[in-house]
Order: sequence, then structure tokens, then C-alpha cells
Amino acid sequence: MYKKLLLVIVLMSGLVAEKTKRDIYEDNCRACHTNVFPLEKLYMLYLKRYSGEQTFKASLKAFLKKPLEETSVMTDKWIKDFSVKGRTQLTDKELDEAIDIYWNLYDVRKKLK
Amino acid sequence: MFSNQRTVLSNYANEQVHQLRRLHRDFPTRVEYPRHTEFRSAIYDIERVKIFSTLKSQNVNFDKEVYRANNMIQFVKYLDDYYLGAKYLFIEIDEDENWYANTMTEILTLGAITLTILALFGLFFVNLFLRPMKTSMTLLDNFIKDTTHELNTPISAILANIEMMDRECMLDKNKKKLDRINIAAKTVSHLYHDLTYLVLDTKRKSNDEWIDLKKLIEDRVDYFTLLAGAKKVTFTMDLNYSTIYIDGVKIARVIDNLISNAIKYNKRRGVISIKLRKSHFIIKDSGIGIESEKVNDIFERYTRFNSSEGGFGIGLNIVKSIIDEYALNIDVKSVLGEGTTIRVDFSQGVVEDV
Repeated sequence: MYKKLLLVIVLMSGLVAEKTKRDIYEDNCRACHTNVFPLEKLYMLYLKRYSGEQTFKASLKAFLKKPLEETSVMTDKWIKDFSVKGRTQLTDKELDEAIDIYWNLYDVRKKLK
Repeated sequence: MFSNQRTVLSNYANEQVHQLRRLHRDFPTRVEYPRHTEFRSAIYDIERVKIFSTLKSQNVNFDKEVYRANNMIQFVKYLDDYYLGAKYLFIEIDEDENWYANTMTEILTLGAITLTILALFGLFFVNLFLRPMKTSMTLLDNFIKDTTHELNTPISAILANIEMMDRECMLDKNKKKLDRINIAAKTVSHLYHDLTYLVLDTKRKSNDEWIDLKKLIEDRVDYFTLLAGAKKVTFTMDLNYSTIYIDGVKIARVIDNLISNAIKYNKRRGVISIKLRKSHFIIKDSGIGIESEKVNDIFERYTRFNSSEGGFGIGLNIVKSIIDEYALNIDVKSVLGEGTTIRVDFSQGVVEDV
């Protein structure tokens, strides 16, 4: 009985932790990018410039921590109209978790048929 | 080797890049990886992690543009725009056996043509470089050929008249002068016979017969005694009876040249030892000798080891040509400053029953 309870607690805590990560991504990324510039489009823009998972993640993290016109993947017109986004307030750990979710969500290797 | 295939593969790669661009643009609305009947393909990211592949052979090589892999040909194209995150695009086709055979044939044909051209160039340049040497040898041969004819009559006349002269009624002073004329005429006569043999007689059909070598050597020694006497050179002879089946003129040229050289390159008051046995004869002098590393060169035409002595350097060349013609064996041993020993072995030439 206790074992079952413990198992349920462990699973629940896992789900909670996953939901928390998901919340970071949903609240800090998806909230703004839903209509303005869809994240899946942005993903493909990033992928076209930065090949490879590690390169992609490292470049995106560097940009989010220190957004610059030079490192932005957006067009000049876009930047002129909307300017470069603000610096992220997330910690490194939160940023890594959000980027992992982002990468996995649109990973072309999993989607290609 | 893959030059023809490279063009085809490159065209396939361009076509695939075009489709990847469209797929990238439409992704993820459209997720079907572009496939073709003519070729298979794969895309890898910059970290060399596979994104998608339809290749039969998964052993891709990132460092070669075109290569063979398991009876297939693979081609890699590096992408500037990373469509779907791809840095490397691999194109694969089945290897065409006929193509491989044709390519090998082309390589061999081109190789043969190239080698032929190089050989022709080599031949041309060798001829170009050797031309001066050939010209000088031709000139010398022509000179010898032209002058040889003109030497015979006067030499014969001189020698015949010397023989006919009555020495008894001559003063000793005149006898010495006559001997000197005789020596000089015989030297020229010897040279004349060498030149005649070299230029005119080499194409003559051999007239082989049994030759009494003992008698021949004694005759030739007698002929050269006067010449040897001028240098106070003496002969010691140890001759057993022996015969050889050979052309008389040719064996005479061999013996004449060996004795003549033994005199010519001997020391004053030197000795020439001649030994004849059933199957060989040895002519040994006590002369200046030859350096051991030059012994093998003595049979080369126009080779002379002492410019102070006269001659064209053709005597031993004639000896060698006759020795080779009759498959005899000649062995030269020489010690500088002590003398030269030449042994001619004619055991292979002995055919008593012929």
C-alpha cells in the first residue's frame, strides 16, 4: 500500500516537474510568439542558420541572454519595425530547459517521413 | 575516375537541394522527405548527426567528394544554407558495372597513350643528345672505310720489297734502318688488317676450318719478333699441339691483336709468355697493367688506356666480337704495374669430328 502510494507520489512529482518546465516554455516563449512570429517559423529560421542540435541551442541561448541585431535571425525590416527583443530574465537552468523543450517540439528528425 | 559520374551526381544533388529548400519552407505542414527513383539521399547536420537518410549504405564518408561504398557510388555536397538543419547532403547511386569497366578501359587507354607519348619524347631527346656522339662515330667509321682501300697496295709493296732486299750486302747501319722500316710497315699492316676486318670483313661469310693453333701462334710470334725486338721484349713459349675449328682470318686477328697489345703495353725488356693447351691458350705480359675497375671496359671500341701508344682502340673490340661469335670464353686478369694475363678458352669450339 505504502509502495503504491510512494510510486504515485514519485510519478506525480515527475509530472509536476515536467509541467513546471513546460510552464517556463509556455509562459516565457509561447505567450508572446503565438501571433507575432510563430515559434515553428522561428525554429526553421534558426535551423537554416545554425545546423546541429548543440550549435542551435548554444546560439539561441547566447542570443536570448544578449540579444543583438547582428546575431538576430530576423530580417532588417523586421528589426526596424519591431526592434530586437529584450534580454531574458530566465536563469541559465530555466533557459536550458525551455530551449530543450523548444528543440524537441519541432525536431525535424522526428517529424520527417 | 569519377569525373563523368560527378557531373550526374552533382545534378542530382542540385535537384535535391531545390526540393529540400521547398520542404524547409513548408515544414512542418509538409514532412515527406523528397525521394527519387534515380538516386537515394541523406542529410546530416554540421555535427555529423543523421537527420534523415534513404541510403542503402550508411557508411558515409564526410571527407571525400565522390567514393565507392559497397558497389555504390556516393557523393557529398556541402550546403551553404542549412535547409532542415542539413550541412551535408549525400547522394547515392548504384555502381554501373559497365561504367566501371569502361572507366578502367579509358584509364588504361589514356595511360598507354600517355606512356607512348612520353616514350616518343624520351626517344627524341635521347637521339638529340646522342646525335653528336653518333656523328663523330660515323665520321670516324667513314674515314676508316675511305682510307682503308687506299692503304693496301702501298703497304704490300713496302713489305714485299723489304723481304726481297738482299741483306747480305748491306752495311749493319743500313740493316738497322731496314729493320725499322720493316717494323713500321708491319705496324701499319697490322692496323690495316684490323681496319679491314672491322669495316669490310664483318659481313663476310665465315670460312671455318681446322686451324693448327701451335703453328699459327709460332707464325704470328715470328711475324711480331722484329716489332718486339724494338722494345727488347722477348717471348717465352710453352705450346702443346691443339686445333680449333674456326675461320683462319678471324683467329689470326685474335692472336695478332693479343700479341700486338702485349708488345705495345709491355715494359722495355719485358717478357711475353704464351702457353697453349688442348682447350685454351694464355698470353701474359709483364707490362703496365690496367686498373681493376677498367678491365671490363677494354673491349669497348675506341677505348685506349695509354694515349702514348698508337692505335684506334679497335683491336680488343675485334677480339671480343670474334670470341662472342664463336661462343668462346675470354678472361682478363690485370694488376696495375705488373702486367696482364689473357686466357682464351675454346673448349666449346672443339669439334674434332666435323
